[in-house]
Amino acid sequence: MTDTWKEFEANEVTHSVAHHLVAIHEVGREYGGWARVSDIARWLGITRGSVSINLRNIKARGLVTEDDHRQVKLSEEGLRITQAIMAKKAAVKAFLRDVINVPEEQAEIDSCKVEHLISHSTAENLLRFIKFLTSDDPAAREALSQFRKFEGR
Amino acid sequence: MKPIKHTEIVDELNRLMAEEMEAFVRYFQLRHRLRGTERLAADKFFETAMQETVEHAEAIARHIRTLGETPRIHVSVEAGGGPVTLKDALSEALVFEQQALEAYRDMLPRVAGDPGLEDFIRKQIATETEHVQEITMLLE
Repeated sequence: MTDTWKEFEANEVTHSVAHHLVAIHEVGREYGGWARVSDIARWLGITRGSVSINLRNIKARGLVTEDDHRQVKLSEEGLRITQAIMAKKAAVKAFLRDVINVPEEQAEIDSCKVEHLISHSTAENLLRFIKFLTSDDPAAREALSQFRKFEGR
Repeated sequence: MKPIKHTEIVDELNRLMAEEMEAFVRYFQLRHRLRGTERLAADKFFETAMQETVEHAEAIARHIRTLGETPRIHVSVEAGGGPVTLKDALSEALVFEQQALEAYRDMLPRVAGDPGLEDFIRKQIATETEHVQEITMLLE
């Protein structure tokens, strides 16, 4: 337990890299995956200079490829990591919003904070738990109902 | 309500100003990461670069004021790292100088019809092109 902090070192990407990868994915969605630095900067709300500096590290790790016009696209590995991050975020957000009633905006912020920190297996377990709780299973309905009553006390 | 074009131009100018301010921070930090004779050799270069970025930001701020607005600065930069070689420092400088140049190039068609701004952006493109060329030559 005391060594948990070391787990952070084992994460595939940092918070900043995670955001850049997701930005490239979202910006490039309409352009065959290719994203311009200016659009990434606008999406992230930071300067082009910062994006370019950060992309150097991301490129060096082979997570993106660059064309002659300095447009970038997620590599196979980059895409795999990005999809994992987005799936984890969706799972955490769904749990916060749909199970423990965190308002949408706060759920978005908080899920963003942990999206790249939790392990794949934890995210999968969380997703299974959400699926159960939001299913038609009478036990799940009863559990949620009891929780809502408990919250209302 | 002000026309959208006016607002967009001011937003773009604010972004350009942020690029310049961040470049100042990066030059400042890179300068202090240099060691020994490399620091001595490049000190003047970095000092001049820092001075120029502030002058550019100041000029952009004046244009924003001319447009009847107040400059807004949104800067989010984290410049870290230990000692660096001059070659690596210049490589990093080249990356953000190239982006500044491209930002001014993108801006040029958007200010068509405003002679003052158009002239300013053209001059900035010339200056930034010189910077990029100078750094590229130093890296050869």
